[in-house]
Amino acid sequence: MSNASVALIIIAIFIMGSAAVGIAPGLREKLSFEQWAVGGRNFGRGMNWFILAGEIYTAFAFMGAAGWAYSKGAPVFYALGYGCLAYIVGYYLLPAMSPIGRRFGLMTQADLVEHIYDSRVLGVLTAAIGVCFMLPYLQLQLTGLGLIIETCSYGVIPRTTAMIIAFGLVATFVSVSGLKGVAATAIIKDIVMIVAVVYFGVYLPVHYFGSYGGLFEAVDKAKPGLLMLPGATKNMDVSWMMSTIALTSLGFYMWPHLTANSFSARNPDVLKHNAVYLPLYQICLLFPILIGFTALLVIQPTLKTPDMAFMMLVQKSFPGWALGMVGGAGALACMIPAADLLLATSMVFTRNVYGRTAGTGTSPAAMARLTKGVVLGLAVVALMLCIFSPGMLVNLLLTGYSGVSQFFPLLVLGVFWKRANKIGAFCGLAVGEFLVFYTMLNKLDPLPVAGMNLNAGFIALVANMLVFVVVSLLVAPQRSESVYLSTHPVEPAAH
Amino acid sequence: MRTLKIFLTLLPFAWTIGGVAFANRIRPFVLGLPFLMFWILSGILLAFLCLTAMYKIDTHGQKH
Repeated sequence: MSNASVALIIIAIFIMGSAAVGIAPGLREKLSFEQWAVGGRNFGRGMNWFILAGEIYTAFAFMGAAGWAYSKGAPVFYALGYGCLAYIVGYYLLPAMSPIGRRFGLMTQADLVEHIYDSRVLGVLTAAIGVCFMLPYLQLQLTGLGLIIETCSYGVIPRTTAMIIAFGLVATFVSVSGLKGVAATAIIKDIVMIVAVVYFGVYLPVHYFGSYGGLFEAVDKAKPGLLMLPGATKNMDVSWMMSTIALTSLGFYMWPHLTANSFSARNPDVLKHNAVYLPLYQICLLFPILIGFTALLVIQPTLKTPDMAFMMLVQKSFPGWALGMVGGAGALACMIPAADLLLATSMVFTRNVYGRTAGTGTSPAAMARLTKGVVLGLAVVALMLCIFSPGMLVNLLLTGYSGVSQFFPLLVLGVFWKRANKIGAFCGLAVGEFLVFYTMLNKLDPLPVAGMNLNAGFIALVANMLVFVVVSLLVAPQRSESVYLSTHPVEPAAH
Repeated sequence: MRTLKIFLTLLPFAWTIGGVAFANRIRPFVLGLPFLMFWILSGILLAFLCLTAMYKIDTHGQKH
């Protein structure tokens, strides 16, 4: 058999197999809406681990980290640093949010915001902003998927066909099984991806350079200075790295789908326990970076698309089965996060935007049917965007992480600070999002300030936080004692 | 205990984010890795250790 057909068969097995696993929970039993949306709030450590960890190792981890190492050098190290700090934020935040969700039947991030501030307007606003940033993220996964399958099938399957088939399957299993389907497939995805990343990340550098030390000696000799900041870039220097790690670690759990994932936990201890071990999982990100540096020396001439570095190196070094493995793992790395995003976007859009504006008074049963329909509708929208205007959402995408990070004061102070109120929250959010859009649209990221190059989202977050706190202190307390207590996690008595 | 928990919470942030200011160098290589890369990886281990200690403090005395 030719390399192409071997690779193609392996990729097809991965995609079809995971779609079958994803659809099974919904076919086996009739799921209630709560089971569909937040897994019945009954996920133990294992299931919760895979949806929390699984949404982290996306197409970026797989292709982007290698691509950044290949094209930028040392700035890629930021990707190793922020996750473990984000888990410390999560250690406090997730176990505090999850019981509020259980007690008041909340299913989305915007539900939570509306509840803590007792403000429908703020809930709708959070939901609308969340959808604006999740949709391009969804499109990114989809575009990555098309590119990976096209490359790994040696061009036999064009990217549009690949996107339609794979995404059709994703939309089907999300609509049938909801979060249970996402969790079941996330397990497969993580195992496949870790095996692929560790195998190639250990083998390739050693194969070409004898050892990791040998690899980095060679990189340092060929490209002096690449392995320290700012690497091959002009302005990704020490201040950029510090502000970027600060922003991404604080903003990490602000992605709306991760709030919904935390609502799925059986009890707060599940979330605390998993936060302790998640940093170790992050060490896996080391391997794509090693592969990226190997590709830099081995692949000539320079790639036009640095994100292809991983696959090109495998294609150069192995026969078809290996590319099939990477293609299958890479496809899953796009499909499963896309499934979770699709679920969260549909939920937020239907419940918090439509349901709280034009659709007030829709019955819960009609709402549930509508949400499942919106899953399919959004999948079509995302596909159309990818096929007909792949570049249109680029600006929004760039703002994604900075944009959702602006929810940090809203959520964290809302849960932990008694004086936080809706007027402060609204003003802070408005200032933060304005600065994010202004700096991004004027290409001011990183933002030069006093000789430093600071992450623009970080500046926006600092301004947002200041405005939030000052305005909250200036206006009279809005939340009555009882509302605060009803949302505030009860600390166990000191011992 | 409260002070200790705050310390354990902030230490990894100081190590990873603050450390970049001092660790931006290629040599010496540690475990075959450039120094900056090694430094950031060491932050992962430190965060794990701090979280483990925090979890121990939080669950201390609770029945499991």
